[in-house]
Order: sequence, then structure tokens, then C-alpha cells
Amino acid sequence: MSQSLRPYLSCVRSTLTAALSLSNFASQAAERHNVPEIEAQSSPELLLNPLTVSRNQDERVFVEPSVNSVRVSIRIKQADEIEHILVHKFTRFLTQRAEPFFILRRKPVPGYDISFLITNFHTEEMLKHKLVDFIIQFMEEVDKEISEMKLFLNARARFVAESFLTPFD
Amino acid sequence: MSNINWRTINIDALDPESAYNFDLTTLTPAVQPVSTSDVQTLSGQIRQLVRGGDAEGALRGALENAPYGADDQGKQIHLSTVTEVLGQIRQTEMTPLLQRMYQSEGGSELCDTLMKYLYKGMAQGTSHTTNNSVHGRSMTPQATGFSQAGGRSFGAAEGGGQAMSVFLSWHEKLVEMVGPGSIVRVMSDRRTV
Amino acid sequence: MLLLDYQNLLIESQLRERLKPDATPTTLDQIVSDFDNTTFHLSTPESKSRLLISLSIKCFPQLLQYGAQSVLEREYGPYIVTPPESGYDFSVQLDLENLPSSPEERDDLVRRISLLKRNAMAAPFEQAFDEFASLSEQAKGYTSESAPQGVREGGEVRAIQYREEEAIYIKASHDRVTVIFSTIFREETDRVFAKVFLQEFVDARKRGVQNAPQVLSRDEPPLELQGMPGLKGAKGEVTYVTFVLFPRHLTPQRRDEVISHIQTFRDYFHYHIKASKAYIHSRMRRRTADFLQVLRRARPETEEAGARERKTASGRAFRVQA
Repeated sequence: MSQSLRPYLSCVRSTLTAALSLSNFASQAAERHNVPEIEAQSSPELLLNPLTVSRNQDERVFVEPSVNSVRVSIRIKQADEIEHILVHKFTRFLTQRAEPFFILRRKPVPGYDISFLITNFHTEEMLKHKLVDFIIQFMEEVDKEISEMKLFLNARARFVAESFLTPFD
Repeated sequence: MSNINWRTINIDALDPESAYNFDLTTLTPAVQPVSTSDVQTLSGQIRQLVRGGDAEGALRGALENAPYGADDQGKQIHLSTVTEVLGQIRQTEMTPLLQRMYQSEGGSELCDTLMKYLYKGMAQGTSHTTNNSVHGRSMTPQATGFSQAGGRSFGAAEGGGQAMSVFLSWHEKLVEMVGPGSIVRVMSDRRTV
Repeated sequence: MLLLDYQNLLIESQLRERLKPDATPTTLDQIVSDFDNTTFHLSTPESKSRLLISLSIKCFPQLLQYGAQSVLEREYGPYIVTPPESGYDFSVQLDLENLPSSPEERDDLVRRISLLKRNAMAAPFEQAFDEFASLSEQAKGYTSESAPQGVREGGEVRAIQYREEEAIYIKASHDRVTVIFSTIFREETDRVFAKVFLQEFVDARKRGVQNAPQVLSRDEPPLELQGMPGLKGAKGEVTYVTFVLFPRHLTPQRRDEVISHIQTFRDYFHYHIKASKAYIHSRMRRRTADFLQVLRRARPETEEAGARERKTASGRAFRVQA
């Protein structure tokens, strides 16, 4: 793990651990409703100060806590056009499969590549520290996956080009 | 008037009694308004201390006098002062310094304030400011298309990895000592820096 | 299968089957598709032993203009049917009862017919290669400055609009033959992938395959195509890939191989871009499964172990339906 990745991830970890203190909270606006307040934004009283953890300009995590839900948005590193496309494809692939992921938001918050929405119901039926583990592991693996895919693409392109040109030789 | 689609009107916003119009000031402890020039004077004094080699005193002074009542500009000035002080302190001195600060009178309060500045520092260069009024919440539109030029902007130099790694290592040391409770207090304290 | 075959495999296997000495003639009516909207029709319209093979290719009029007729006559002489089957551009007929006797000759016939598309497309290339030969002969007498206009500039540009929006341009000069492919990418992903691939094509010469043709790629029409009619497509969508074939590629003994090979470029290129996308997709699928696994760990175990397996009084185990 690179030198600056470790403090970044540990900072995200402690921030999430703190933010995931959620309680059941029925909607104030409509009777018998129970909605994630961070999405509904129906009352300023229920929202807490959002926190940003940045590694640099292009990699950061945005945590928006509220009384019964937390929205976590991740901006994934994209150094060039290829990584940009790969990140876009990958996050789209994931969000299209948001259903089995429970906490995955179908649409990222603007300015970020992927968002998670964790509600009190998630923290009630799942282990909180494991949820944090999941997000941390996700962040680690995504970077790795993107760079591996990019390497693969370059290697394949090289191989393909050489194979085509060799018969001319 | 007939052109307005009344179905899209947020009626909660029109009702002074609704939760949507909850008055946040009732939650905020009264803070003294601080003028920008006062903040400037303070930051001059703090810089003086740093130059004199008393980084610890400078940090202490900066955190004790956090201008909760200042406007955005004043807060920004103080943030850059704090950032500067933090950058002056070497990695090895962080833990002992924090230890001393934490154990002193009102140290826990100071650490919370420091935590606020760390998060605010990391939020720099992003479009999201750390105020949480519903009305002021506007997301900067981002081009949803693929084009590289539209989506990513490379902002101010403060957003660089160097400055962030300073915040990150302070954050790590601080959490080690005061625990996650301090982060919770940053989230819930309506007095923002 | 890394490189594409030059012949049409389906036609080859069909014919091979039918040209076996002990094969019984059967009726046949089959449409075979090939790259670039090419269609073949294999049929036995008159009798079971008369096999008609027709080819429909989009740019046939252009190919005729560049001498396709003579190339096809050379390859298929006695078998050509005129006029061709209606709806098709070119037909050959095989009389299964009247075939060459030796197995070698039969094999050669099968091979030739399966290369029908390649041979039709080869005409402009052959013409350009011949033009190169004569130009280089002429140019021998001159230094590069004193050569007459025609020799220095090279011949006309032959355009083959072989797909709706994509074309091959061939131009002969006294020291080279330039082949330019215009190709279109509708999707941003393809475009970015293509850029990566083309970069490697361009760089390949620097690394190892020194004798390969020089490859250039750009987003706007190259100089050779200036003033060509029918250059269209939104800017940025069309990519022009230029192959510069040097005299070493144009020798008579190598030209057949070179023509066959360069024809497959566009399809080869697109095929590998699609293949890379497919691979990346499968990677993402696997990675997503991994992530789900991690997330599943967040669920407490008790739910699983709780009331699943019970035992009856007799000691038989059964599973409780959820």
C-alpha cells in the first residue's frame, strides 16, 4: 500500500465509524413515513455537518450524515481518458446491480463517481464495522482493478498490433 | 401565475410551522460576531508566534480563538492560518504536542476545534461548503457526458496531495488520542469554523 | 484465434464436403454472410450437381472500375456465369460431375472459391501495386527533384466505399503504396480503446517489428485525401489509419499475402476492441461478485445458523423452509 493511501483509508474508516451512529426516525413531514432524511432533506435540524476526506484533488470521500441515514460518496482517481472510461464503465456496472448491494445508491452525488446510502435499517441488520470494512475494501480494490484493467488493455493492444504487423515483416 | 406547475411547489417551505423551516439558530449557541479585520489581526499575531518558534503556542492560540462568528471570508483566513501552523509542525512532534494540549485545561475542546479545521481543510477545493442549510445546498452541475474536459477540473494548489497528507496525518494522530467521539462532535456541533 | 482468416470458412467447409470423391449431390440453398455486409448465396438451382455460388458486395461497381473483372477472370475463368444471379454481383458455377480429377486441383478450387471476397477486393490493390512498379521504373531515371510531376506525386487515389460510412483509399507512389482506412466509432468507449490500440500499432515499428509498414493515425483526413469527394462524418468520430507499404512489401512474391492481410485490418481491429470490452466486462462481473461477498459478511451469522436445520424425533434431519 502506498505511503499516502494508508492514512487516507484510516481517516475514512474513523469518519465512517463515527458517522454510522444512526437511529430510527419517522418522517416529520408525512405520517407513517420513514425516509432517509439525508435524501429527503425535509428538515435542516436532522442533518449534520457533512465531512470531506481528501487524499488529493481527485480522490476524496464525501460523508453526509443525518439522523437516520448517511450518504457516502467516493471520487475515484482518474489520471487519464482511459481510466476515466474504465471508472465510468465500472461504476455504471455496479450501480445497475444496486439491488443486491443494499447500500449502493443508484446514482452518484454530482461531482463523485459512486455513492452509498446507509440507513438505520442497514445498520440494524448488518454489522456496522463490517459495513465500514466493505467500503474501505471497495475503495482499495477499485483503484487496483482500474489500474489492472488499464494495464491489460495496453498489453493486449501491444500484442494485437504486433501480431498484425508481424506477417509483413 | 398560470404557468407555474403547482404540483412541484414545495408546500412545506411556505408553512412557517413546518420542520422544513426549522430555525437552526435555536440550536446554535450564541456566538460573538467577529469582523474580518479582527481575524486578520489575530492571524498576524499567530504568525508572529510561529516565526518565534512557538508553533505549539500558535496552534493553541489559533484554536482557542476560532472565529465562530466570522463570515465566510474571515473563516477562510483563519483556516489558512491554521493550515500554515499545522504545516510547520514536524511529524514526530505531533503526538507529544497533541498529548500536552489534550491534557491541559479545556484540551478536549481544543482537539474538537482542531478536528473541525482538519475536515474543513480537506473540504477545500470541493464545491461543498460545510454549511448545512437546506436552502443553501446547491450541487455544482457536472457534465454527465464522458468528455474529460468537462468533468474534471483541476483546482487550486491547496487541493494538492501535499497539503492533504498533512491533514491526514494530523487526523490520524488526533483520532488515535481522542477517539471517534471527536468526529461525532464535529458533525453535530452547529458552530462551524 | 488471433488473426482473422482470409477465406470464408463456411463456404470452404461446404465445398470441401461436396467435392469429396464419394459425396452424393444434394440440394442446397444457403445464404452466408461475411464481413463488411458481404453476402454469399450457395444454391443448386438447376440440378443437385450444379452448384451456384454468388457474391454480393457493396462496392462492386467501384471494384469493377479498378479492374476487378480481370482479376476475377484470372481466378475463376471457366466457372464464371454471366449474367450473375439476380440480386448478386458475381456468380460462379461448379459442375460437380465434371471436376478436376486430382485431389490437389480440387483443393485448390475450394480454396480459390472460398477466397471470393478477398479476390474481388484485391483488384484495386493489385492495380496500385502494378502502378507502383511502373512508377518506380520511371523514377529510376530521375533524381527526386527533377522527376516529372506525375512520377513525384504518384497515381490517383483509389477509393473503395466498402461500408456505408467507411472506406479504403489506396494510392501508389514511386517509392511506396499508401493504404488508408477510414473507420468510425460511435461510442466513446470504442473511441478511447481504439486510441490505445492505434498507439500500439504506431509504436510497433519502434519495438521489434522494424520491417512492418509504417502506421499513422489521425482524426482528420490525411493530406493524400485532400479534395476527395465523400469524406464525411462528424469530426472526431472518424479515424483515419494510414499504412505505408514500402517496396519490400510490394515484391511480386509477397503481394498476395500482403493484400490478403491488409484487407483484414478493419475487421481485425474492431474485433479486438470488442474482445477487450468483453474481457473487461467479465472482469467487472467477477469483481462485483467479490464485492457482494464482502458485503455479505456484514450480515450477522446467526440468521444463517438459527433455525435452518432441525431434527425429528427419530433423528432425521430436515431443513426448515424460510
